[in-house]
Amino acid sequence: MSRVWRQPARLVVFLGFLLNPLLLSALEVPPLTGRIVDLAGALPAHDSEQLSARLEAHEQQTGNQVAVLILPSLEGEPVEEYSHRVATTWRLGRKGTDNGVLLLIALKERKLRIEVGYGLEGTLTDLRSAHIIRNEIVPRFKAGDIPAGVRAGTDAIVRTIEGTYQAAESPTRDRQLLQSSAFQYVIIGIFVGFLAGLVLSQGLRRARALLGAVLTFMVAQAASILWGVAAAGLTAVLLWMALSAKGPGRRRGFDDWTWYRSSRGGWSGGSFDHGGFSGGGGDFGGGGASGDW
Amino acid sequence: MGRVYMIVLGVLMTGGLWGCGYNDLQGLDEDTKAAWSEVVNQYQRRADLIPNLVATVKGYAAHEKETLEGVVQARAHATGIQVTPEMLKDPAAFEQFQKAQAGLTSALGRLIAIAENYPNLKADQNFRDLQSQLEGTENRITVARKRYIDRVAEYNKMVRYFPTNLTAKFILHLDERPNFSVADEKAVAKPPEVKF
Repeated sequence: MSRVWRQPARLVVFLGFLLNPLLLSALEVPPLTGRIVDLAGALPAHDSEQLSARLEAHEQQTGNQVAVLILPSLEGEPVEEYSHRVATTWRLGRKGTDNGVLLLIALKERKLRIEVGYGLEGTLTDLRSAHIIRNEIVPRFKAGDIPAGVRAGTDAIVRTIEGTYQAAESPTRDRQLLQSSAFQYVIIGIFVGFLAGLVLSQGLRRARALLGAVLTFMVAQAASILWGVAAAGLTAVLLWMALSAKGPGRRRGFDDWTWYRSSRGGWSGGSFDHGGFSGGGGDFGGGGASGDW
Repeated sequence: MGRVYMIVLGVLMTGGLWGCGYNDLQGLDEDTKAAWSEVVNQYQRRADLIPNLVATVKGYAAHEKETLEGVVQARAHATGIQVTPEMLKDPAAFEQFQKAQAGLTSALGRLIAIAENYPNLKADQNFRDLQSQLEGTENRITVARKRYIDRVAEYNKMVRYFPTNLTAKFILHLDERPNFSVADEKAVAKPPEVKF
């Protein structure tokens, strides 16, 4: 039996490597250490703090997440590609409303970009972004005053997107989604475990034979659904123990399973866990504008 | 042996409920369709920008007839193709759509290139605005295509892998879907660039 699907299994591994989209990239996405990530040291501490506070207040008021990244160099990467990667890695904006904005500045290439989340494309349009770059930021950059340009730029961005959204309640939506998907698996797991437990405690021979027939097909699939299997296994064992009254029948609540991670998607980093700043799960579709000075 | 065996069986039976990939396939099927709609959407957005752009360029460079007409024709050709979800099942139609859009991309590239020769055009506020919007749209197209490529790769894997290929073939009747080629991706990834 095993020989029959060893070949496909090898193929699967091989194709997995082939099809895994090109994950290699030249320039790494820096960690999101705050609303202002100044890797080039272009902003005086005072400016940086002030801007940070301004953006934080804006977020508390509107839920919009605006961040600034200043780089010494793009190391040859196209600014659009890199900025989209940074924005989607940081996941600025809330999940669902996608109200994040990234202002990215690369000093060596003298290039900048405003990357706009899906949810703000209507107000901070490509055109508006281009105007902010052209009229607010570039003239100041050209004059050599990077801090002034960043200040004017973020100011214009914030003013544009003010009033688009109200501050959202705590990100409970995320949690619920996660629970419902885990919940579904747990329900099925419990159902199957219940059957298995009955079989175990009463020793039904016929059921055993029936299950044996299904066995071969199942083996191939077991690995990919480990967690559902674990739920079933645990339930089966617990039920078995309870029904055969051999050990203490300890019951576990559903809450134990909230850490379950589905194979597709997973959940986004929740925001403001540790008082620091983190993205809320927003998505970006390439909106915004680029420019140079 | 008996009880342990039973536990193993119970566990494996659970596996069967997920392993066939029915739900995952259905989900990915929807995902690829949604990603495709986004691609089409952004191409449409680009097509909508073109009449204005052509009119603006005409105001300054009316005698660049060939280039201007090239854009108008390429646009007509691209928008003339009826886009349906069925297209995803038909590699030939998909290819045709892709070719028409690529033709429009290069026609637009030529149009932007001639603008270089007209300082007044380059300085025109209207032209610069259209230019920004066009760049923005090209970038969205790139992103939408990239997403489509990723989704389809994921979907195609499910359709080909064992044992989900059985579910795809015999229960859901799903086939592999065509994807954008890499060479084509490179051509589009470079939006027409203009230095002011």
